[in-house]
Amino acid sequence: MTCDTSSSGCGLEKLESLSDDSITVISENWNGFCSSSEALLKGSGDLSFSDEFVMRAKNLCKHGLSSLVEQHFLRCIEEIFERNGAKRFWSYFEPYRNAAPSETNKDLILEEEIQQIICKALEEISSQKQFQEKCLLLLARALQSYEEDKLQGQANPDSTRVYLLSKYQLIVSSVLLASLPHHFPGILHWYFKGRLEELSTIAAANSEDEEELGMDDKMDLDEKSKLPYKCGDMDSDISHKYAVFSENNKLVKNIGMVVRNLRNIGFTSMAEDAYASAIFFLLKDKVHDLAGDDYRSSVLESIKAWIQAVPLQFLRALLDYLGDFTNCNDPSPGLKSPLASHPSCYSGTGIPSEGLVRWQLRLEYYAYETLQDLRIAKLFEIIVDYPDSAPAIEDLKQCLEYTGQHSKLVDSFISSLRYRLLTAGASTNDILHQYVSTIKALRTIDPAGVFLEAVGEPIREYLRGRKDTIKCIVTMLTDGTGGNPNGPGGSGDSLLEELNRDEESQENTTIDDDINSDDKQAWINAQNWEPDPVEADPSKGSRYRRKVDILGMIVGIIGSKDQLVNEYRVMLAEKLLNKSDYDIDAEIRTLELLKPGIEQKDLDISLDNVNATIISSNFWPPIQDEAINLPEPVEQLLTDYAKRYTEVKTPRKLIWKKNLGSVKLELQFEDRAMQFNVTPLHASIIMQFQDQKKWISKNLAAAVGVPVDVLNRRINFWISKGILAESMGADSADHAFTLVETMNDTGKSGTIDGGCEELLAGEDDGERSVASVEDQLRKEMTVYEKFITGMLTNFGSMALDRIHNTLKMFCIADPTYDKSLQQLQSFLSGLVAEEKLEFRDGIAEISVNSLQSIIACYLIKLRILRDEKETKPSKSRRWIWFVIEERGAIVYLLNAVYDVN
Amino acid sequence: MVTSSYFCYFLVHCRWHAVSSWTWDAQDETCGICRMAFDGCCPDCKLPGDDCPLIWGACNHAFHLHCILKWVNSQSAQAHCPMCRREWQFKE
Repeated sequence: MTCDTSSSGCGLEKLESLSDDSITVISENWNGFCSSSEALLKGSGDLSFSDEFVMRAKNLCKHGLSSLVEQHFLRCIEEIFERNGAKRFWSYFEPYRNAAPSETNKDLILEEEIQQIICKALEEISSQKQFQEKCLLLLARALQSYEEDKLQGQANPDSTRVYLLSKYQLIVSSVLLASLPHHFPGILHWYFKGRLEELSTIAAANSEDEEELGMDDKMDLDEKSKLPYKCGDMDSDISHKYAVFSENNKLVKNIGMVVRNLRNIGFTSMAEDAYASAIFFLLKDKVHDLAGDDYRSSVLESIKAWIQAVPLQFLRALLDYLGDFTNCNDPSPGLKSPLASHPSCYSGTGIPSEGLVRWQLRLEYYAYETLQDLRIAKLFEIIVDYPDSAPAIEDLKQCLEYTGQHSKLVDSFISSLRYRLLTAGASTNDILHQYVSTIKALRTIDPAGVFLEAVGEPIREYLRGRKDTIKCIVTMLTDGTGGNPNGPGGSGDSLLEELNRDEESQENTTIDDDINSDDKQAWINAQNWEPDPVEADPSKGSRYRRKVDILGMIVGIIGSKDQLVNEYRVMLAEKLLNKSDYDIDAEIRTLELLKPGIEQKDLDISLDNVNATIISSNFWPPIQDEAINLPEPVEQLLTDYAKRYTEVKTPRKLIWKKNLGSVKLELQFEDRAMQFNVTPLHASIIMQFQDQKKWISKNLAAAVGVPVDVLNRRINFWISKGILAESMGADSADHAFTLVETMNDTGKSGTIDGGCEELLAGEDDGERSVASVEDQLRKEMTVYEKFITGMLTNFGSMALDRIHNTLKMFCIADPTYDKSLQQLQSFLSGLVAEEKLEFRDGIAEISVNSLQSIIACYLIKLRILRDEKETKPSKSRRWIWFVIEERGAIVYLLNAVYDVN
Repeated sequence: MVTSSYFCYFLVHCRWHAVSSWTWDAQDETCGICRMAFDGCCPDCKLPGDDCPLIWGACNHAFHLHCILKWVNSQSAQAHCPMCRREWQFKE
C-alpha cells in the first residue's frame, strides 16, 4: 500500500529534507505499518499483529509522521467499517423495507422476527465497533508512548485516546447516517411499540394481582398520584413496584441493550425519538381506551396511575440500566440531547433522577392534552347528558387548568353547537335544556363565566329569533313541580331546583358580604383576587361576570323581564283556571322562587275559596271572552250562585266566564260509562244530545251559542271519541251529528269504562282561555301602526332599528313606546303577513297594496282641498313631492298633502 | 254536582268547575281619590275584594274605604265628598 495523495500533504516537507537512509527506513516502516494495520483490522479479533503494529507506528512517529499514521489508520478503519459493518448492518433490515411502516399490521411473527433481527444486527455492529476501538487503542498507545518519550511524561495521558475515540465515534455515526435507509426509524418505532405493549400487558397483569392481594397498595398509589408534581413521593411505593417490575427486568434489559447499542453507534437521539414516540403512542391509545365514550366516571386518576405504573417504570428501569452502563464505561456521555434522559445523579436511593421527573411532566402534560382534546371534541354529547357526565367535566376542568387551552374549547364547542343544535330541526325546548346544561357544566369549568359568555352568545342569539322561546322558558320554569310525567325527563325540575339553589347560595353570599365589612376579610379577598382570563371581553365589567345565575342568563335571552312576567302571568292564569282543586302551593312556591329574579309587582293572585274560581279581573291578563249557552240545569245553578254571592258580598256581583273552567264528565250509556275532563263548551255540546239524538250543526250551534265553525271544530273531539257520528250535509252548516248509543254501532269492541280522557282548555291550538302574549302585543302595538306607515310613506324604506329608534324618539307622550326591538320585529312581521308591509333584507317598505290605498287617501284629500278652493297652501299645509320607488319598475309620483302640525 | 233526572239517551254526571270574575256594582270604574280601579285596591293594599272594600257616601259616590277614611281624617272640620263637595256621610 502506497502513500495516499490526500494524506501525504502533511508529511511532504519532512520527506524532502530526509536522507536516503532514513527514506529507506521510513518506507520500510510505512509498508510494515500498512500491512500490519490492515492485517490487524481485518483479522477477526486476532491481536498477534499488535506488537509489530505498535512498533511500526512508533518508528514512523519518530520520523515526525504521527499525523500521517493517525489519518491513514482512521481512513482504513472507516473504509472497513463502511464496507463490512454498515453495509452488513443495513442489509439486515432490507427485507422489511415495506413491512415496517404499516402500524395496523399486527403480524406477531414478523414482529418477533424484527425484534430478533434488531438485536442481532445491533449486537454484531457493536462487537465490530468494539473490536475496532480496541485497535484504535493500540494506535493510541503507540502515539502515547512516543509522545511521552518526547515530552518526558508531561503529556496528558488520556488526551490522545479521548481524541481518537471521539473521532472514531464521529466516523461511525456519519457512515451510518449517510447510508441510513428511510424505513429504519419506522422499524425502531415499531420495535419499541411492540416491547412497550408487551410491558404494559405484564404491568396490567401485575396490578390485577396486586388488587387481589389487597387494595391498600393501589389506594396508596392513587393518593400519591393526586399530587402530580411532587415527584419526591415516588419512594417506597414505587420501589415496591420496581421490585415487581424487575421480574420483567429481562425484557427491560433487552430493550436497554438495544438502546445502548443504538447509542453506541451514535443513534442516541433517534433511539430516544423512537421510544418517546412509542410511549406517547401507547399513552394516547391508553387515554382513548380509558376515556372512550363513557362520561360517567373520572379517568384522569387512572391515567395518571397508569403513567406511573407503565411508562415511568419502564423509563426508570431503562435509565437505570443505561446509567450503570454509561457510568462505568463512558464518564463523559457526549452530547446531551434536549430530551435529556441521562441519569445524571442517580444513585439508587429512591430519589428519581432529573430525567425521570422531566419525563413524568412531559407524559402528564401529553395525557392532559390528549384527554382534553378528546373531551372537547365530545363536549356536546357530554353536556347533553350533563348531570351524569359530571366526572368528565371535572376531568376536563383539570386538564384545562393544566394546559390552558380554553379558547380551543370555546371554538370547537361553538362550531358543534352551530352544526348540531342551532338548526331548524331542533325544538326550542331541547335548545333551552342544552343551554341550561351548558351553563351548569361550564360553570364548573370556569366559575368566572368568561367562556360561558362566549359560548352562550350564539345560543342566545338563535333563541331570540324563535317565537316560542318565551313560552318554553316559562314552561320550564313553572312545570318543575307541576308534575308533568310526560315532560322531558324532569329537566324543568332541575331548573326549578337550580333556582332554589341559587337563592340559597345568594343568601350565603349576603352573609359573606356582611363579614366582608371586616377589614381583615376584605384584605383576604383582595389577596385572593385573580385576573380575568386573557380571553375575557374587556368591554364587559368583571363584576358583572362574577355571578353566573341561570335565571339571569335565561332572562337575558328574552331581552326584558317584562316579557317574561307577561308570559308567566298568562301561563299562571291558565293553570289556575284549569285547576279544580284549590291546591296552589306549587304555584306559590314557583312564584316565590321567581320573585328575586323578576321584580314582582302585579303577579298577586286572588283566589276566593268558594266553590268556584272567582277572579278579580284587574289582576289577570285579558281573558278571551266567548259567550256560550250552558245547559239549563247548570245555567240555573250558576245564576243561583251569583245571586247568593251578591247577597253575601254586597255590593259585589259576579260575572260568569262561561267558556272557562273545566268539567269532569261521566257519560253513562246502557253498555258503557266514560269519563272525560273537558271544557265547558264540550260539555254543553254533548249535553245537548241528552234529549235529542240528532242535531243539525246550524241548530246545535244556535243552541250552544257559538258560531258554526267553532262548533264544527270543537265537536270533533266527541266524534273522535266515538260518541257522536257525523254525516255530511250539503254545506258545513248542514252537517248532521248523531249520538252513537251503543258501542256496537261503530263496530268497536271493548269497553272504555273507567278510562279517563283528558282534554283541557288550551290543548288544542288557538283555543287558549287567556289571550296569548302575541295577541296582547298586537293590541298594544296597533297604536304605532299609523306612525310606522306614516314614516315608511315619507322615507320610502327604513331599516328595522331605524324604525325602532325613531319610535323611541318621538313616541314619548301617551302612549310611550316601550317595546323591544324583537317585539317590534314580530309586530312588523304581522303587518307583512297582512300584506301591509314588505320586508326585505331587514328593510321595511310599504307594500304596493297599502301604498295604493294611501295614494287613494291622499287623492281624496286633494280633491277636498280643491273643493275648498284653497288656491295657495296655507302656512300649516305644505305640498310635498314624494317619489316612492317600488321594485325598481313602478314609480309612483305622488302629490300629497302633508300635515305639518 | 249536576245529575240530569229527566228522560234522556244517556246519563250525565258532571262536576262543573265554573269561572267568574267579580266586580263592584258601582257606577264608576275608578276610585276618585287614588285613581285606581275599584276592582283593584287602594295603593296601600295588596289584595282587592274583602281586604279593600268600597264604601258609598250619602251622595252615592263610591270610594275605596281606605281612601275615603284617609280623606275624612285629614280634614279638620266636616269632610266633604271629593267629587261633589257635599258633606260626607257614609251611606247607611
